[in-house]
This record gives sequence, structure tokens and C-alpha cells, in this order.
Amino acid sequence: MKKTLLAGSAIAALTAGAAFAEGHLAFAPGDGDFSWDSYDAYVASAPDLSGQTLTIAGPWLSPEAEIFDSMLAYFEAATGVEATYTGSDSFEQQIVIDAEAGSPPNIAVFPQPGLAATMAAQGLLSPIGDDVAAWVSENYAAGPSWVDLGTYADENGENQMYGFFFNVNVKSLVWYSPENFEDAGYEVPTSMEDLIALSEQIIADGETPWCIGLGSGAATGWPATDWVEDIMLRTQTPEVYDGWVTNEIPFNDPRIIEAIDTFGMFAKNDAMVSGGAGAVASTDFRDSPTGMFTSPPQCYMHRQASFASAFFPDDVVVGEDADFFYFPSFSEKDLGNPVLGGGTLMAVTDANDASAAFMEFLKTPIAHEIMMAQTGFLTPHSGVNLDTYKDGVLRGQGEILLNATTFRFDGSDLMPGAIGAGSFWTGMVDYVGGASAEDVATAIQDSWDAIK
Amino acid sequence: MDSIAGKKSGLTWAVHISVAALVLLWIFPTLGLFVSSFRTGDQITASGWWKALFPSEQNEQFRAADPEDNRELIDGVYVVAGNVYVEAGKVDDPADVAADVSAWGVSSREISAYAPGETADMGEGETMTVQANGDYVWLGSDEQISGRAPRIFVTALSPPDFTLQNYNNVLFDPANREGMTKAFFNTLTVTIPATIIPILIAAFAAYALAWMDFPGRALLIAAVVGLLVVPLQLALIPLLKIHNDIGIGKGYLGVWLAHTGFGLPLAIYLLRNYMVGLPKDIIENAKVDGATDFQIFTKIILPLSFPALASFAIFQFLWTWNDLLVAMVFLIDSSGETTVMTRQIVELLGTRGGDWEILATSAFVSIAVPLGVFFAMQKYLVRGLLAGSVK
Repeated sequence: MKKTLLAGSAIAALTAGAAFAEGHLAFAPGDGDFSWDSYDAYVASAPDLSGQTLTIAGPWLSPEAEIFDSMLAYFEAATGVEATYTGSDSFEQQIVIDAEAGSPPNIAVFPQPGLAATMAAQGLLSPIGDDVAAWVSENYAAGPSWVDLGTYADENGENQMYGFFFNVNVKSLVWYSPENFEDAGYEVPTSMEDLIALSEQIIADGETPWCIGLGSGAATGWPATDWVEDIMLRTQTPEVYDGWVTNEIPFNDPRIIEAIDTFGMFAKNDAMVSGGAGAVASTDFRDSPTGMFTSPPQCYMHRQASFASAFFPDDVVVGEDADFFYFPSFSEKDLGNPVLGGGTLMAVTDANDASAAFMEFLKTPIAHEIMMAQTGFLTPHSGVNLDTYKDGVLRGQGEILLNATTFRFDGSDLMPGAIGAGSFWTGMVDYVGGASAEDVATAIQDSWDAIK
Repeated sequence: MDSIAGKKSGLTWAVHISVAALVLLWIFPTLGLFVSSFRTGDQITASGWWKALFPSEQNEQFRAADPEDNRELIDGVYVVAGNVYVEAGKVDDPADVAADVSAWGVSSREISAYAPGETADMGEGETMTVQANGDYVWLGSDEQISGRAPRIFVTALSPPDFTLQNYNNVLFDPANREGMTKAFFNTLTVTIPATIIPILIAAFAAYALAWMDFPGRALLIAAVVGLLVVPLQLALIPLLKIHNDIGIGKGYLGVWLAHTGFGLPLAIYLLRNYMVGLPKDIIENAKVDGATDFQIFTKIILPLSFPALASFAIFQFLWTWNDLLVAMVFLIDSSGETTVMTRQIVELLGTRGGDWEILATSAFVSIAVPLGVFFAMQKYLVRGLLAGSVK
């Protein structure tokens, strides 16, 4: 042991500091399909910030936290900054407490743009500049929509770029078991009409097509908001969706009620959903996909975001035992292929040289590829090499993201917290519990009027 | 006399029954948590813990061994043979299989189409045979016995299946062992001073409020009692702001001060009520003999108040040990060095909080120290709790 230590320190003394640090990197520079050019270019231009520290706080815990740390190692090797990431399951509360009390981290990873916008309006965030906005607009697929999502009014009411999206998920996915489809002779549907026909076919065969679970502790109801948002994008134009999210179109507009009722066609039908409509609200969303893999299968399909695979049983191999298809659009409506997504954004809460260098680092493809290669991380960065995705399933999702004709962010995350993380959730629980779509939509609109 | 005695025994029965009911009410979920801590996450999702204790009829699915490595050419047909339980890693030897297969199938639509020993025709000469102990033989042509192996659906009476893996993950997994150890010692660093400091201060204050005459004493006691109802949550951000302004920032000193402040009202109230109930004669005698207040406090009051001190120490220890909120606000910063057990456990739950098996296991790991403290001091707890309420 002592010998290795001595040898280690001898090597450390002989080689440059950066070379020593590379020993801790997850992928040795030069290996694989990664865009090492971008890393080399960054290393060449990066300022030497040895001795500086960078603190980052965010909502990711294990395993994402370790993988994010492995990405930080490259930044540390390039700049000499000592960077630490701390995750918290109550990040949304913690960041507000820390920022208001004056002890925030340098960079915060926001799971929702709404909270970042609120903090920007209070002057707790530092703008990252128009040149970043221009860069995002140019290098992200559907770039202007990402810039809009990261631009908020500051305390003086002027719009500034604050948020840089890093780690995106695609929500418009339906998961299924290819072998169960094969056993039963079902085909993957390519239009919403086919999907509804398939659901009816499965019912006719005496089976249950869907697993839907809305349970999520204090956030119970949110999976239903994703359903409604996805259906909105498939039945109405993106402009109607935007109007709905900002409440220019009231919540109880017939077009929105129609979308809620379309969701009800799946979730409020005892034959359509595993356990019957009564079980929808009480089933935990994390347990819900398990039904596809039981013996015999309790259901055949599960609509959930790209992260759903994290909740599959341990022995399920994604790509073989489980696969996904795009939640299809109506072929009779000419709305293209809309994609609903969500994501986390990086914002500077306490600016220093290291935070500026880190935001610069996030622009390099390599920062995205290191994450892509290890976890369910998707990026709209058009400069990355898609071959670095961990598996074919993720690559497929990444392609959906890059090829989207319309990309819209999760509407409930954009609505004010009292609606998008409050009455919309509870309203959907009431809806699957038996209330009518009109009553639920009117109640949500009332709560929205109340906070105006 | 008889009727009074009869009433008494009726009341005693009612007390006994309600105590038993309360005990069961608490034991039952704890037992469930304990059983769950020995089950895998998938088992917890699949069935309740009460079903885990007995052998049960279960539908399971396995997969035949990968034909690439395992197929053999015997008499012109390719054969893959094995045992589903051995390949799933449940037992090492087919002779040890405790499950008893009652039916099986090869399609998710017909999972119990065949009895053990029967042969399933999978089309064009491809066959599968499964025995009661899980042995299977898969036969077919070169093309059929290739690619992905078929699934085997088995209905079997399976014995209870428990694992120590969760404890291994929480305590010994190299990925979080370091963090857990650090969190354990950090928690002790928070807890021990945060228990001792308020007791020290509160004992002095309680003596003064109980036995020293000064104007406004009754008002001061009323104020302390009033502070008991103030929720600590509303003090969090202002207090942290003060800490940042005077330069304490986030750290151990801050969290000790916060715990001390939040614990003092109850401590003073509890100790003062106990001390005021001590015999007046002893104290007056001591005063007549020329003892100062400090001497009376250290020589007479403190030794006599030990049960109350101990019971408050238990309270304060348990509360600071299990605390997450105060630690999050006053201690844990983004450097990652300051973390406590509760926080570490929350992190083990994973990004989306679905790892129930870890939660159950961590609960029992975390409970170990408070349990030790409780049993060491429990004989004082009841005595101290009744402090001042009965004479």
C-alpha cells in the first residue's frame, strides 16, 4: 500500500496536474465516439482557476448525482476548479431558503422554469447574457423555444437570459413489452386512431390495455397533467396550447375540456385500465409500469416520460424486454409530430469566475456526451454525437427530440405553482375519482382567477 | 366498597385493553417495515409484507438460458437444458429447489397451459418441457434455438424469500459507506452538544424560576410556556439571516444554537415544574444553614432532579437525532461535507424516491442509536414525565 502511494506521488510529481487528474475521469480522453475535439478546445481556452471552488445544488440524487460528478471531473481537470455537487430531494425549498438568507450555491439546477422565474424576479439569479441566448438559439434543436423557456423578467421587469437547459426528458412515449405484443399478435400503432383501435382490440381479447398510476405522495395527480398536455398538443394547435398555459385561453374552454375527456376515455374506463378506474389515483406512478412485466401481464401499455425505465423491475432489459413507441398523433388532424418534454435548467445563483467557466463548459458537446453515455440523459444539443447515447432506446428518444416538429415544455411546470403544482394536480385526481371535466376545469380556472 | 372495587377493576380492564390496542397499533407497522427491510424492491411492489411470511402460490417468469453459449447438438436437434431457479440465481443446485411447479406456459397469454412434465409444442417441431422442480429442456432446429431465449412462465408454490442485500447496500456498499460513516459522526457532532447545552442552560433557569424570588417571575414563566406553542418553522429564515449577518453562517455552531433555542422552552418548563415540586423544607433548611443559591442548586437540586434531566435528555436526543429540517437549514450547505444521517437516508431513496426497500432498511439502521439511548435511560423517563403533575 505504501509502495503504491509512493509510486502514485512520484507519478504525480513527474506529470502535470491535469494529467494526474485524468486518472479519475470516467472515459479517457481520446477513447470512444466522444467529441474530444470540443474538450481539447475547451482545455486550451479555459482559464486557470486553480484553488477556486464551485458549488452546485440540484434535485438529482443517486444515480444521476454520481454521473453528474463524473462530468464535473472533466471540468475540474480542465480548469483546476474544485467543484462539488449536492443533491437534495427538497431542492425547491432549500434553494429558496439559502438564496433568501444569502448563502446560495454558485449554480442551481432547477427542475422547473417557474421557480427560476420567481427567483429571477426577486433578483436572486444572475443573468448569463445574450450571447448564451444566441448560442442556444443556434445550437439547440427548436432553439428559440429553449431561449424563451430560460428568459425571465428581472427585478426591474426587463427580460434577461437566466436558464441554460441541461438534461431534458421526452414525455410523449408509450412503453410496452415487445414479447407480450408478439404473444398476442399486436402491432405498434402509428396513429392515435390505431392506438385507440388497439386498446379496444385488447379489451375484446379479455385483457387490459393500460396501466395508469397517478400516485406520487404530495404531488399525486401530475402524471395525468402530462396526459392532458400530450392530448392537447395532438388535438389543438401549439398556439392554443401556449394560450392555455398562460391562461389567455381559460381552463374551462371547450377545447381543453375535450382534451380532459379524451384522457378520461382511457383513465375513467374500468375495462381500459388495470385495476379499474378506481385504482388510477391510488396507484403509485413508480409502481404502475410494473404491471406490464408481471405474469400474466396486467396491462400492455404505459404512457410515461423517458425516465419511466428507472422504475421497471430489475431484471427487465430496456430495449429487449421493454421498448417504447411515440405517443402517436391523430392522422386526421394535421398537427405534425408534437413532442412534450420537460427538463432541468442551470442558473447562476452566486456568480464567480468558476461559474462563468462552467456555463461555458456546458456549451461543449463533451459535457453532454459524458452524461448521455452513462444515464437516461437526453439533450437537444445538435452538436453531439448520437452514437454516444448509452443504448438504442435513449438514442431513439434523442432522435424524437431532435426531429420534433413542435416541442412544448410540460405545461403544468410553466403554470403558476398554485395551478401547475396545485389545483391542476388535485383537479385531475377529482376527475378520475368521478367529477366531470367541466366541473374540474371550472374549479381550476376559479383557483387561477383567485391568484391573479 | 364492593361496587367501588368492581368499578376499579372494570376501569383497569379498559386501561389494559386500550394499552394493548395502542401497543399493537405501533408494533404492527413497525413489524411490516422490519419484514420489508428483508425484501427486494420488486417483491415489495408485487405483494404485501404479510404474504412474505408464508409459502405462497406465485406466478413467476424466467427465461431459458442464452442459446449462444448453452445449446448442444444431440442427435441432429439443438438442445438447451437447465433449471429456471438455478439460472435465476435463487438456488445453487437443482436438488435444493424448494418451489413446486404446478403449471407453466410459454406465452404471456397462457401462463398455465401445461402441467409439469408435459411438452409444449412451440410450432414446427420446436418444443419445451418443464418439470416440477423447474428443470427444462428446449428442443429445436438450428434456427429455432438461436437469438433470444423464450420466456418460461411458471406457477409454483414458493417458500418465503428474504435477503440481507438491503442492509448490505445501506451499510457496506462502497459507494455510500464513506458517506454513511461521515453522516453518522456528523449526526453525533450535532446531537451531543445540542442535547447538553440546552440542559445546562435550562437547569439554571428552572432553578431561578422555581426558587428565587424576583419581580416578574410569574410573567417570565408565562412567557416560557407561551413560547412552547410558537412553531419553529417561522423562525427558520430570519434566524439563518442573523447567523449569516453575524458571521456564523451555516455550520455546527449554528445548528447547536438553533437546537438549543428551539429546545429551551420545553426544557425550562419541564425542569421548573419538577424542581418546584421538591420539598420546600430541604431548601429552607439549607438557606438557614447559610448555603448560597449556587450551593443549593449544585448540591441539592441537581442530584434530586436527575430523573427530569434524564427524561428531557432523551427527548432532546431523539428529536435532534431524527431532525432533518433544522439540519437542512442551519447545517447542510452545498460543500457536501456537512450531512447528517436523516439526509443521507433521504439521498439513498434515489432521484425519484421509489426505493422503498432502502427506506425500510435505513429506518432500522437509524433507529439503533436512539433505541440504545432510550433503553439506557428509560427508567427515568416516566418519573421525569410525571414531573410536577402528581405530588
